[in-house]
Amino acid sequence: MMHNSVFKGEYSIMKLKPFNIIVSGLVMFFLFGFAHASLALTPSSSDQNQEVESSQENEILQAQEKTTQQPDERAEKSGQKEKGIEEEETTQIADPLYIWNKGMYYFNDKFYFWLLKPVSQGYSAIFPEGVRGSISNFFYNLTTPIRFLNSLLQLKMKSAGNEIVRFVVNSSVGVGGLGDFAKDKLDIKRHNEDLGQTFGYYGVGHGFYITWPLLGPSSLRDSIGLIGDAFLNPVNYVTPLQDCLAITASDKVNDTSLHIGDYEDIIKAAVDPYVSIRDAYVQNREKKVKE
Amino acid sequence: MSVRIKKVKRRIQNKIREVSMKKVITGLHLFIFLIFPFTLYAGVPLTTVEGHVNKVLSVLRDPAMKGDSAKKAKKEKIRVISDKMFDFAELSKRTLGTSWKNFSPDQQREFIGLYKDILEGAYMDRIMTYKDEKIIFHKENMLSDDTAEVQSSIITKTVETPINYRVILKDGEWRVYDVVIEGVSLIKNYRTQFREILANKSPEELLKILRKKVSKA
Repeated sequence: MMHNSVFKGEYSIMKLKPFNIIVSGLVMFFLFGFAHASLALTPSSSDQNQEVESSQENEILQAQEKTTQQPDERAEKSGQKEKGIEEEETTQIADPLYIWNKGMYYFNDKFYFWLLKPVSQGYSAIFPEGVRGSISNFFYNLTTPIRFLNSLLQLKMKSAGNEIVRFVVNSSVGVGGLGDFAKDKLDIKRHNEDLGQTFGYYGVGHGFYITWPLLGPSSLRDSIGLIGDAFLNPVNYVTPLQDCLAITASDKVNDTSLHIGDYEDIIKAAVDPYVSIRDAYVQNREKKVKE
Repeated sequence: MSVRIKKVKRRIQNKIREVSMKKVITGLHLFIFLIFPFTLYAGVPLTTVEGHVNKVLSVLRDPAMKGDSAKKAKKEKIRVISDKMFDFAELSKRTLGTSWKNFSPDQQREFIGLYKDILEGAYMDRIMTYKDEKIIFHKENMLSDDTAEVQSSIITKTVETPINYRVILKDGEWRVYDVVIEGVSLIKNYRTQFREILANKSPEELLKILRKKVSKA
């Protein structure tokens, strides 16, 4: 019975080529997330995390009271009271898949340095920054549905309206999205919204941290969000599949070419790069959920 | 009618009182500023940070210092500015948080030095590549009586990155104790890293790791 109905369903949407959509959706899911990796910045707060944070904060508060009773040399010298309480909290995320995540972190690291970076550098040598910026704008414009719908879901009417204005203006005056006329001339700034942020907005926590191959840092919540958002990305509906993959890969290379150095900086500065990236992911997502 | 006139009169009187109060308050302020000139000297958080950043930019764009030979001199100049701009002791203390008190005064001193070397080592090369980047300062928010957040953006042709500086007032001067890039606080990020290390290692072992990192760079 079940089997039957599933079959029927498949036939009825045969024209949409469900296999292609699903596969390309998954590929997008991986590739798109990697954009987070090159920026290594993208995350949000959860109820659970906040609970952890606040209980930690209490502990810290108590500990601080103790330390203020016996102020150290430096604090005495400058005559300052210790006032770092608001800075004391750490952002935490559960990491039960640590071994897998660390393996994927090494894989992505090698993938970046051995393949993605050299290809992107070769690409930047051919195309000037202005051209690459326009290509980036073009792809950004295409993903308007993701930002529009998620703004709506978060009841951010102004953001939703801005997305429409941006899309209309940039698609027309900005020549198909190549230019960002709305930002440059009308001062309507970009504002990223995605399904992971929408979940976060309604208090859904990260669940746990997960690093995807190619995609990079994510969490359970944000991974589900990426799958949902993939359905709103027109690129995923391009057929045949090779074309869809080619477009996605070019977008990825183009994007990386504009961010060369960011990942290197993070690695260079970090004492423990894996932990640094995980923390940066959580902090950045938290900021984006709050915005 | 008369009630109305009375009301208007009272309103005018109130206004006059308000204005004179304002005058007194501004007068008081002036008086205080004259007595304590160093408060004026300290300047507001935003202008302080902006001043330091502009100094760094002018070093980078100095046409007299070109080529690899000048690179070292440039770095040295930037280092001098960063020493003035950042409060590395405060930065270190806040990074370690509650673990700070587990470090002996000597260890604390060494930690500050190593941490500073790591940060400079990591960001100096990147800063040296800056040429056409535009830096815009937006506004400042007071976080407490003596701490503030200065918001800025660094803009390249294609990417705009928000950078916020958290500053603290000490001895009449605002100095940076945290930098927040795209929502990621520098000291929070290091705190998470150090906390995991200190969870099963001693302060001395952490210093050893940091020494190794500095010597590699």
